[in-house]
Amino acid sequence: MNENIIEVRELKKKFGDFIAVNSINFGVRKGEILGFLGPNGAGKTTTIKMIMGLLSITSGDIIIDGINLAKSKEVKEKLGYMSQKFSLYPKLSAIENIEFFAGISGLGKKKIKSKIDELQDIVQKDLLDRSVDKLPPGIKQKVALYASLIPDPDILLLDEPTSGVDPEVRRNFWQEIYNIKKRGKTILVTTHNLDEVEYADRIVILHRGNIIVEGEPSELIREHGVDSVETLFKEAVRDYEGN
Amino acid sequence: MKILYLIKKEFLEIFRQRELLFMMLIAPVFQLILLGYIVTTDIKNVPVGIIDLSTGTSTSRIINRIAGSGLFDIKNISRVNRDSVNELKKGDVKAIIVFRDPVKTGRSIPRYPEIQILLDGADSNSSGIAAGYFNGIIKNYILDDIESLGIAPIVKSKPLIRFNPELRSINYMGPGIVAVLLTIITLFITSLSIVREKEQQTIDTLLISRLRPYEIYIGKALPMGIVGLLNMCIGVLVAVLWFDIPVRGNLFYLLLSAIIYLMAILSYGMLISIFSSSQQQSLFYSWFSIITFILLSGLFTPLENIPVGLKWLVKINPLSYLVKIIREIFLKGNGIEQFYGDLLSLGLIAFVISSISIFNFKKFISK
Repeated sequence: MNENIIEVRELKKKFGDFIAVNSINFGVRKGEILGFLGPNGAGKTTTIKMIMGLLSITSGDIIIDGINLAKSKEVKEKLGYMSQKFSLYPKLSAIENIEFFAGISGLGKKKIKSKIDELQDIVQKDLLDRSVDKLPPGIKQKVALYASLIPDPDILLLDEPTSGVDPEVRRNFWQEIYNIKKRGKTILVTTHNLDEVEYADRIVILHRGNIIVEGEPSELIREHGVDSVETLFKEAVRDYEGN
Repeated sequence: MKILYLIKKEFLEIFRQRELLFMMLIAPVFQLILLGYIVTTDIKNVPVGIIDLSTGTSTSRIINRIAGSGLFDIKNISRVNRDSVNELKKGDVKAIIVFRDPVKTGRSIPRYPEIQILLDGADSNSSGIAAGYFNGIIKNYILDDIESLGIAPIVKSKPLIRFNPELRSINYMGPGIVAVLLTIITLFITSLSIVREKEQQTIDTLLISRLRPYEIYIGKALPMGIVGLLNMCIGVLVAVLWFDIPVRGNLFYLLLSAIIYLMAILSYGMLISIFSSSQQQSLFYSWFSIITFILLSGLFTPLENIPVGLKWLVKINPLSYLVKIIREIFLKGNGIEQFYGDLLSLGLIAFVISSISIFNFKKFISK
C-alpha cells in the first residue's frame, strides 16, 4: 500500500521568468486517491500535464511505476485522463465518442462493441445517440469518466472533474471514483473545492507552485488543531505569505 | 488501424457542423457561379456620350459601328459642345467621343473627322479596354472604307486567337476560381482542426492516446484533403457544365497537381492551427493568408504587373503555380511536359511547408 506508483522529485516548471511549479516533491501511492488541492493558478494543471508528458519539465524527475518519464514515453500508456471540459467531442454522440476512444486505444471490434454495450448501463438508451453537447452535465461527466478508463489505465488523472456540476452529481461522481479505486486503480484528482477533501485518502495542497500541506486529511486536522481543511489551508497560506 | 477511427471522427465532426457543411458543399457552387458572372475583364454596355460637331458623313457611320458592336450603350448624341468633364464626373457616361471637322490644310475635303475620346480613368481597367475597342472600331472602319475605294491597305493585321478564340473571360477566370475555392475551403477547415481540439480540451486525450504523432497528423489532415478534392470536383463540374468551359487537358494531371498543392495548403493550415490559441485567431490568420495568396496568384491581375522586388512573393506562393497549371490544363490542353517546371516548384514548396509544419507539430506535442 505504501509503494509509490508516481514519484515526483524536485519538479520545476518555468514559463519565461514565471515559476509555475517550484521544485516540488510528492508521491502517489498505489491504489490511493490523492487529492491535489489549491486555488486557480496554484500549478495543479501544470503538474498534471507534466505527469502526462504533455508539458516539458524545466527540471526534476517524474517516475511512473519505476520508470522515468523522460526515458520512456511508453509509460504514458499506464495513464488515463479526464479534463475539466470532460474531453469529449461535443458533436459526436456518447456511442460515437466511446467508439472513437476505444478505437484509438487499439481495441478490437468485439471489444469496442462490448464497451459500447457497457455504456448502456451508464447512460439511458434514449440519450445514447444524442450529441454530447446536448447531454446534461452529469451524464457527460459519467461518459467522460468511462471513456478515460477505456485503455484500462493503472493511474487515472482527473483535472477538476467536478467543476460546473451540482452537489448531487458531485457526490455521485465521487461514489464512482470509489468504485474505480476498488478495482485497484490509483487516482490523482485536482480540485479547488476544499470541501471535497473528505473524499481523498491523502491530500497535497499547492499554493503558488509550492506544496504547503501534505498528508491524510484527518491527521492534518488533528496535528494542526483546526476544525477543517479549509481553516488549515487558510492558515498555511497565511504562514507561507508571512515567510 | 487506430488512425481509421481518427479519420472517421474527423469526418463526423465536419459533417455534423451544418455551417461548415454549407461552406463546403453549397458555398463553392454559389461562389463559382457568382464569381463567374462578376469577375470578368470583358466590358459590356459601357455608357457612352457623343458630341458630334463634324459635318462629314463618316461620323454617323462610325457611330453606327460603335452602337452595333454590342459593347457600348450610346446614351446621348449632341450636336453642340457641352461640359464633358462634368458629365464624366456625374458618372452617367464612362466615355465621351467628340467628332470635329479637322482643320483644312489644302483644297481637298478631309474624308474622316478628327476624333477625341474622353474616358473616365477612375475605372482604369475598363477605360483601357474601352479605348482599345474604340480604336479598333475606328481603324476597321477606315480600312474598310479605303478598301471600298479600291485601294488595298499596305498593312492589314489579322489576329488569330488560340485556346480561347471568343476571348471569354469566364474561360480564363473559371479554372482559377476553382483553384481559389480549393484553397479557401481547405485552409479554413484545416486551420481549425487542432485549435478546436485545444479549445475542447480533447487534444490532451488525443496526445496521451496510443496514436503515434504521425498518425494524429495524417489522421487530421487527410479528411480535410479529401473534402478539398471533393470541392474541387464540384467546382470543375460547375465550370464545365454551367459555364461551358472546355477541359482540353488530362484531368489526371489536374488531380496530381491538386494533390501536391493540397500537401502545401493542408500543412500550412495545420501550422496555423498549431500556433493559434483560439478558433477566432486561426480564422483571422487564414483569412489574411487567403487574401495574400489570391492577390499574388495572377487570378485577377497579370503577374507581369507585379514589381520586380515583390516577384519573389509570387514564387513562394503555391496558389500562383496551381492557377497557372489549372489554366493550362483547361484551356491549352497542356500535359506534364509543358508544366513540369511549375509542378516541381509546387512540389518543392509543398515539401518545405510540410517539413516546417511537421517540425512544429512535433515541437507542439512534446512541449
